[in-house]
Amino acid sequence: MAPLVPHSHVLVLAAAVFVLGAVCVAARRNLLMILIGVEVMLNAAGLAFVGAALAWRQLEGQAFVIFIMAVAASEVSVGLALIVYSQRRTGTVDADRYNLMKG
Amino acid sequence: MSLHALIFYLLGAVILAATALAVTRHNMMHAVIYLVISFLATALLFYLLGAPLLAALEVIIYAGAIMVLFLFILMMLEIGKSEKSPGAYLLQWLPALGLGAVSLAVATFLLLTQAGAGAVLQSAVAPPPAFGRFLFQRYWLAVEIASFLLLVALVGALYLGLERRDRSGG
Amino acid sequence: MKAVILLLLLFPLGSAVFNAVAGTRLPRRLVETVACLGVLGALGMAAVALVLAGGRAHDLTLLPWFGAGGFSAAMNVHFDPLAAVMALMVTFVAAVIHLYSVAFMRQESDYVRYFCCLNLFVFAMLVITVADSLLFVYLGWEGVGFCSYALIGFWYRDPANADAGRKAFICTRIGDVAFGVALALFFVRFDNFSISYVNAHAPALSPVLATVLALLLLLAAVGKSAQLPLTVWLPDAMAGPTPVSALIHAATMVTAGAYLLMRLFPVVQISPTAMLVIGAVGAVTTLYGAGAALAQWDIKKMLAFSTISQVGYMFLAVGAGDIVGGLFHLVSHAFFKALLFLAAGIVIQALAEEHNIFRMGNLRRLLPQVYWLFLAGAVSLSAFPLLGGFFSKDRILLATFIHPGGAYKIFWFIALAAAFLTPLYTFRAFFVAFPNRPGGRGADEIHPTPAFMARVLWPLAVCALGDGLLNLPGGIGKNFLGHYLAAVPGARPDLAAGLATEWAMGITSAAIVVISMVLAYLRYGRGPAPEPAIAGFWEVLFTGFYLDRLYQLIFVKPYQAASFWLWRQVDDRWDRGLVAAAEAAFRAYWAFTELLWLKVDEVLLDDGVVKTASGLEAASRGLGRWTTGRLSTYLAMLLLGLTLFFGALGVSWLLR
Repeated sequence: MAPLVPHSHVLVLAAAVFVLGAVCVAARRNLLMILIGVEVMLNAAGLAFVGAALAWRQLEGQAFVIFIMAVAASEVSVGLALIVYSQRRTGTVDADRYNLMKG
Repeated sequence: MSLHALIFYLLGAVILAATALAVTRHNMMHAVIYLVISFLATALLFYLLGAPLLAALEVIIYAGAIMVLFLFILMMLEIGKSEKSPGAYLLQWLPALGLGAVSLAVATFLLLTQAGAGAVLQSAVAPPPAFGRFLFQRYWLAVEIASFLLLVALVGALYLGLERRDRSGG
Repeated sequence: MKAVILLLLLFPLGSAVFNAVAGTRLPRRLVETVACLGVLGALGMAAVALVLAGGRAHDLTLLPWFGAGGFSAAMNVHFDPLAAVMALMVTFVAAVIHLYSVAFMRQESDYVRYFCCLNLFVFAMLVITVADSLLFVYLGWEGVGFCSYALIGFWYRDPANADAGRKAFICTRIGDVAFGVALALFFVRFDNFSISYVNAHAPALSPVLATVLALLLLLAAVGKSAQLPLTVWLPDAMAGPTPVSALIHAATMVTAGAYLLMRLFPVVQISPTAMLVIGAVGAVTTLYGAGAALAQWDIKKMLAFSTISQVGYMFLAVGAGDIVGGLFHLVSHAFFKALLFLAAGIVIQALAEEHNIFRMGNLRRLLPQVYWLFLAGAVSLSAFPLLGGFFSKDRILLATFIHPGGAYKIFWFIALAAAFLTPLYTFRAFFVAFPNRPGGRGADEIHPTPAFMARVLWPLAVCALGDGLLNLPGGIGKNFLGHYLAAVPGARPDLAAGLATEWAMGITSAAIVVISMVLAYLRYGRGPAPEPAIAGFWEVLFTGFYLDRLYQLIFVKPYQAASFWLWRQVDDRWDRGLVAAAEAAFRAYWAFTELLWLKVDEVLLDDGVVKTASGLEAASRGLGRWTTGRLSTYLAMLLLGLTLFFGALGVSWLLR
């Protein structure tokens, strides 16, 4: 039983990673990069859960990380399939080009 | 501070640096590689935080499967360089950076000024067998549903990826 | 009882209002019926009230009226025998006249206005009759003045008629001012407008105040009753329709002045000086009126002067302290004067608006009913022994004679002289206009008049001839009226003059009347009656002792000159100044509106509106840029939302 860091530090780290992911989502134009940002955010959430599991000494936190990973995996596969599909259709993965809903 | 704490902060720095680099790379291949580094560091962090199974899974699924998938797609799609001028990037980065900074600042402030913020975690380990037993005893339904979800995703991805003979519709 | 009095007043008022509102839209017969029913209803109510009153005084409050600052006035009624008799007389004569008017005004298209005013007049007169609160009396006082003005000037399209109406109104107004001052004095002294209260507390008045009040009331009465010095309006008032002259200027309004003095007699009584003045006014006016009547050729003007003279008798009665006699003569006079006027009205209509008696004649043959009716009235007016006005006039002369004070003997003599002149002028007119003689009118000149007009006058004739029975000096029904009026303060049922004096007086009066009638017959009754030239002394009488011209000189001309001067100096200059000022103001206004238009309208409003619109448009376009349809924009919005959420959390945590 070694002392680690305060729980809030773990959460701060998770928040920082999450924000990085959010910035990536908001700022990048490439669809793939946006998807990567989403992955980063999910990962940060998992980190937060693991820290919470340690803090509250409950395994539910870790169990939930399993599910997060499952969801992330399925979501990435479908998302990438979509990106491939739309690349075939429109010839670009630039999010700015997908503006048929403009106005 | 103890050794474990030091390792934690080190790993944290690595995660942040790698993620930041990944997010800002223009070359997507580089971005993915940096992200893999980030995930590996996260896995070590998981291990530190007493989740060895999750650490393994992080490496296998996130770094191993998801990122590799990304690489496959990258190579398949042949993403070319964008034609935008350097100055345009500032315009699209600035609002996001600003908002992100604000949210992070507020969140940090909120987290660090909490009542029990200073309480130090005591490390513990969830041995994989115990964790597995726990998972399947308590949350077997969720596991089944997650696998179902994966099946659906598989089917969807397959369907979307099919290249039709006729180019119309799809 | 209260309901009866209320109905008494509301019947004529209601029919007046009804006709005013709906009369022009309803058939003629309906309007006439409503008008007559209004007065007949009032007559019924007056009779019922008389019976119910039983010779006592009743004080009733009909309606609250107004209140201001601690002072409140109500429409109070003091129904004593005096009011009862007066009300009955007024409604009876008014009823006859209304019926007569239906026929008289048969060719008049403006009948609605006529009947409205006539009904309204009856209402106002009844208000004067029964009212207890002096303010209420004043309401009726003004009401009769207005109706008189409206009815005199009924055919207003002829400016002479309108002028006559105005003259009447202005003259009576002078009296009204005096009445107003008296009202104020009453209030100051008694804090109360009630007649019954004032009469009860009259002895508490100081003689000076009583004199002042009585003289003010006299002035008011003089104006309303056309006594000297305000007689000038009554002859001119003959411009109105004849029934109007009969009702207003014979039977009712002109007697309202005398009636007022009788109502407030306890106050008047306190001051012997005032009584003397009242008696003097009455006496002189009787002679004045009689004299002027002698010289008139217009039958209506003659009757007008005769009215002036006879009302003088009533004033004389008040001055002599005999209100029983005054009321008696008032009632008698109402009957026979109305009869005379209405009969003259028939003659005037039959002869196509001929007023000149010297151009009449042969009426006995042509209008036999009217001949007898007029004769009845004339005989009554002349105070022929035992008939009509004999007993009333006799009583007044007696009262004057027995009143202590040398002045009263002089009054008696003057009144006696007038009593001599009365049959003279009456029968002068009668003998000139009515009997058959050569040079009179022919049958072909008669315009047919409805027989109804003459028939409705017979009740009046009977009353005129027989009203002596009301107050016989001796025998059965001795002093009936007097005793009935016993409850009225100041009334003396019995004159207590002593049998010898009474007989002497009676015989003297009778003798004078007979002699006068014989003289009239001798002068006018035989042979043709040439129209005498109006010259010399005759002219003096004809013009009413030049009173009209005197007033013109003293009042009218200076007033006109002053107003002309004022107009020239002040008004005109004012006007020019005003015009210039108005022009300047207008220019300023125009400049101001131009400024407003340019600065405010165009800049503020127009531009402002336009700018607002374009601003909104720009804003919406700006906002529209957010719908880029681009994924990155929406993702950035998500991040923004997240930031805001964090910000809100932080703020709430800070404020905790």
